[in-house]
Amino acid sequence: METVFISKLKPFLDAVAERLDLYVPKKSGQHYIYGRYDPSAEMLVEFNNIRTCAPIKEFLFPIQELAAIFPEAVEPEEVKPFAIFGLKDCDLRSIEILDKVFADEEFRDPFYVARRENMFIISSDCSDPGESCFCNLLDGRPFAESGFDLNVSRVRDGFIIEAGSDKGRDFIKKHSQLFVDVPEALLAERDKNRARTQKQLEQNNAELKLDAPIKEIVQNCQDSDVFDAEAERCVECQACTMVCPTCHCFYLYDTVQKDYFAKMKMWDSCMRLSYAAVAGGADPYRVPSDRIKHRLMHKFVYFLDRYGIDMCVGCGRCVDADVSRLDIRMVLKKLSEEFKGKGKKKAKVAK
Amino acid sequence: MNENPYQPLNSEIVDIIDESPTIKSFVVVPEEKIKFETGQFVELTLPGEGEAPFTPSSSSTETEKMEITIMKVGRVTDLLHQCKKGQKVGIRGPYGNGYPIDDFVGKEVYIVGGGVGLAPIRSLFLTLVDRISDFKSVVCRFGARTPDDFIYKKTLFGSWQKIDGVDIKLTVDEANGSWDGNVGVVTTILAPDDVKIKNAVAVVCGPPVMMKFTTLKLLEFGFGTENIYLSMEKNMSCGIGKCGHCMLGKYYVCKDGPVFTYDMVKDIPKIWD
Repeated sequence: METVFISKLKPFLDAVAERLDLYVPKKSGQHYIYGRYDPSAEMLVEFNNIRTCAPIKEFLFPIQELAAIFPEAVEPEEVKPFAIFGLKDCDLRSIEILDKVFADEEFRDPFYVARRENMFIISSDCSDPGESCFCNLLDGRPFAESGFDLNVSRVRDGFIIEAGSDKGRDFIKKHSQLFVDVPEALLAERDKNRARTQKQLEQNNAELKLDAPIKEIVQNCQDSDVFDAEAERCVECQACTMVCPTCHCFYLYDTVQKDYFAKMKMWDSCMRLSYAAVAGGADPYRVPSDRIKHRLMHKFVYFLDRYGIDMCVGCGRCVDADVSRLDIRMVLKKLSEEFKGKGKKKAKVAK
Repeated sequence: MNENPYQPLNSEIVDIIDESPTIKSFVVVPEEKIKFETGQFVELTLPGEGEAPFTPSSSSTETEKMEITIMKVGRVTDLLHQCKKGQKVGIRGPYGNGYPIDDFVGKEVYIVGGGVGLAPIRSLFLTLVDRISDFKSVVCRFGARTPDDFIYKKTLFGSWQKIDGVDIKLTVDEANGSWDGNVGVVTTILAPDDVKIKNAVAVVCGPPVMMKFTTLKLLEFGFGTENIYLSMEKNMSCGIGKCGHCMLGKYYVCKDGPVFTYDMVKDIPKIWD
């Protein structure tokens, strides 16, 4: 039984919460944030129409964590198995990206890997894409087809739950009394909903459609004035990198504790002044435009070359978060237009 | 629990050598032997204070203890300079790629170094000298700001100059005292016939501006871009290609470097910044 039906969310979530610490989306102003699920509370769990405001990386790679203790190495605390409900396709793809960095064969980050192995992923379909969502420009979709343990789709009268892993299949098997078979008509409805949301997303972003692969655009426009012009509005708040689910730069620093020394790991941002500076004074990214350029090159060129995927999932969190309204979609669009112009110029010269 | 790449190996500073007014060499004994290839770097932790990347200056054949030559240039190096013998430190690594010594066999190795850039070069030099007959010659051109600023003075001015197959020339930016050698930046002592370029590799290590002009000079002499080896200095922090600080174009200097051929980096903007 891979795909099942349940009419209410609560018994399903209660069953998950029996064994796992479960986190669910909660509405906060216009956005969703994750909070701990409380089975005893009367409040209905939100079925989030889009991704949450905070990035999922927080669960795997916390803002700040202990990386080493000196002089006596200690085993880090065991990670308690946990589950997250309401992750979207963009979130799952961001996890795939973080896995490339932190769970690579050569140097595994043991803290990340421990959390990752204990994470139970319950994704859900997007039902109403946000204004900033642009995942369709990065091969994303408003629903997930892989990368989850369980996926939930809302349909008339209830929810379709699909297993995507052995862990997910085991869960359904174990709690089979909660579920019934899915009527064919509801599967058709799910497909219809998905197609509708996909269409809506495409309509929302129709004007953003780029004329060439992003890598080609960014790589060929490194000398563009667009970076300088965009940098003028950047206030260097670094919010874009903080909310980005794929940005993973971190900072190692040492501290003195009561009876030991600790090496800590903390999120860092390539948009921070002197991020790349060395003690001798050299700093390749002294001005904001160089940092913006580096960030885009990293996301769409370097990461793609190294790992075979873009380091951006089009979730739009950076668009929502940036106080100066520096919009990555617009930067790409402007670069794309310039790239198109370059092509025309070249063609002219060739004639 | 997987092995923790952020956990340093407990080590102790057993000796400190004053090299110049701003540079000291620290002899460090790690709890377990550390095997490294010359040119690779380690992260040295001063517990509770901070961590910084250094390329060991001792021979790669020496694994019991490691020498690390450090210029006082920032917060951590300043604190390290205040340390005394017996200080506990931590070492992570070695990281990155060293010099491909085996590819140098049968060739003339043309080494150009400046200032504290002589630290990695000393390790390379000692490793080459260990098997000197494998190489056609080792030709060194070193510069310092003033005669006092040369490091490894005793061996540099003495025993190294007497090794068969080794040719060393020195220069200073500003002479003082009894200096009777060349005065001028290191490129002023580079000559096209120092080595037979067709059968030579060049190794350059020093401050960015020196590396830049030396590279340009070597290209002018006719060195192929793939035969110029540069030791790039960036803000290497995690050492394992994750934290992002040392990115040089598509490369992580900590993982893909710190030794690069000029060919690998020539198209990346601002490599000398």
